Amino acid sequence: MPSLRQGWDIQVRVISALMVRELTTRFGRENIGFLWVMAEPLLFAVLVGLLWRMMKGPTDYGVDIVPFVASGYIPLVLFRSAVSRGVKSFTANGSLMYHRQIKVLDLLLVRFLIELIGHMMAYLFIASVLGVLGFFPLPHDVGFLVLGWLYYALFTLSVMLVVAALSELSEAIEKIVPVVTYLMIPFSGAFYIVSALSPAAASVALYSPAVHGMEMMRYGIFGPSIDPHFDYIYPVGFCLPCMALGLVLCRMVRKRLVIE
Amino acid sequence: MIACQNLTKSYRSGHVRHQVLKGINLTVQRGEKVALLGRNGAGKSTLIKQLGGVELPDRGRIIRKMTNSWPIGFSGGFQGSLTGYDNARFIARIYGSRLDAIKAFVEDFSELGSALRRPVHTYSSGMRARLAFALSLAIEFDCYLIDEVILVGDANFHRKCHTELFDKRRDRAMVIASHDMQIVNEVCDRAVILRDGVAHEFASVEEAIAVYNAL
Repeated sequence: MPSLRQGWDIQVRVISALMVRELTTRFGRENIGFLWVMAEPLLFAVLVGLLWRMMKGPTDYGVDIVPFVASGYIPLVLFRSAVSRGVKSFTANGSLMYHRQIKVLDLLLVRFLIELIGHMMAYLFIASVLGVLGFFPLPHDVGFLVLGWLYYALFTLSVMLVVAALSELSEAIEKIVPVVTYLMIPFSGAFYIVSALSPAAASVALYSPAVHGMEMMRYGIFGPSIDPHFDYIYPVGFCLPCMALGLVLCRMVRKRLVIE
Repeated sequence: MIACQNLTKSYRSGHVRHQVLKGINLTVQRGEKVALLGRNGAGKSTLIKQLGGVELPDRGRIIRKMTNSWPIGFSGGFQGSLTGYDNARFIARIYGSRLDAIKAFVEDFSELGSALRRPVHTYSSGMRARLAFALSLAIEFDCYLIDEVILVGDANFHRKCHTELFDKRRDRAMVIASHDMQIVNEVCDRAVILRDGVAHEFASVEEAIAVYNAL
């Protein structure tokens, strides 16, 4: 029986090897390589931010509109791309199952980490550029910004686990994933603050763990003026069972996985 | 030792379940070379995949007391969109081996030369088999699982495989699925016939071959 230490070493080795492999297959070694992972969220955030600025004027909810939109949009794009990267990822990577030290969860974790790191880099990049230009405020509380990201990431990972497994079990689920992640927009908290919603709408929005994470991030950036609404316990109470379900489903899928 | 106990495996196509393995019991001791015989579709590859942990059985246990290779065949274990070198690098990383040693072995054994810098999906099946063989022999295992690839490649490559596998690694265990009775007779200590999802043991390899030829 390998010791815990050996197990950990293998785990680290596998994750880093998979990371390199995933990056080379997805982005190649030409031109900017891994930095491409930043490109999509960056473009989205900048273009949507400018669009909103043209439509709604320079401020919304009492804060600058461009950082408001950018700070909401990038986590939302993270959620959508991570979940869709999870779809059918076991079948697509069947050949990796030839190596017993690689587990299906490693695949998902690697895909998740690449998306997470890429989107966080895009976020940091856009905040620094806008900050230098005077459009992005100095964060009110970096701790809450990071905490909000962690909550958002936890939610993304737990949904990704469930969706990845379900997409292997049913064709129908694979097909409806893009639509459902699109419908996540109002439940992501990206384009509003909870305090500006009607009490009825606010209570519905707060059923989504993502909204809690987003409110924490917004509080971290803009401070108390946005009157954040969030809970520390509820999102965890949602995500942990969701993650447990995802793990059970992944195990089930692994057992049935047919490899060429 | 690697042992399977009451291994069952079925595949589903639509609503029909097709039972391929119906309770396999098989023990492979250290250093032992076991031939898996059987007609096409008898479940040889399926059993090798379960032994290698590529697929998981429906029921039954596999006890592993020695390290085993992944099933050595045409396709398994590498990524088509990566180059031969990238695949070697990947294998070196996940098995915690030294990259330069693996690279040197793969270059020398596969004789693929500059093709190693090209994506694997541009290879011919013979070239793929060379790479597959080279990668799996580059890592040392106690037991090699070999699925039908011994006879690929030209005579020269064939000879090299023979030397690496059956001479240099004569102390290792092997499970060999093959239709080539000459190899089976030459190399194996035991032969098992898979038929109707069950493994039949025989007193001698000759006897198993005789039964196989009559199938």
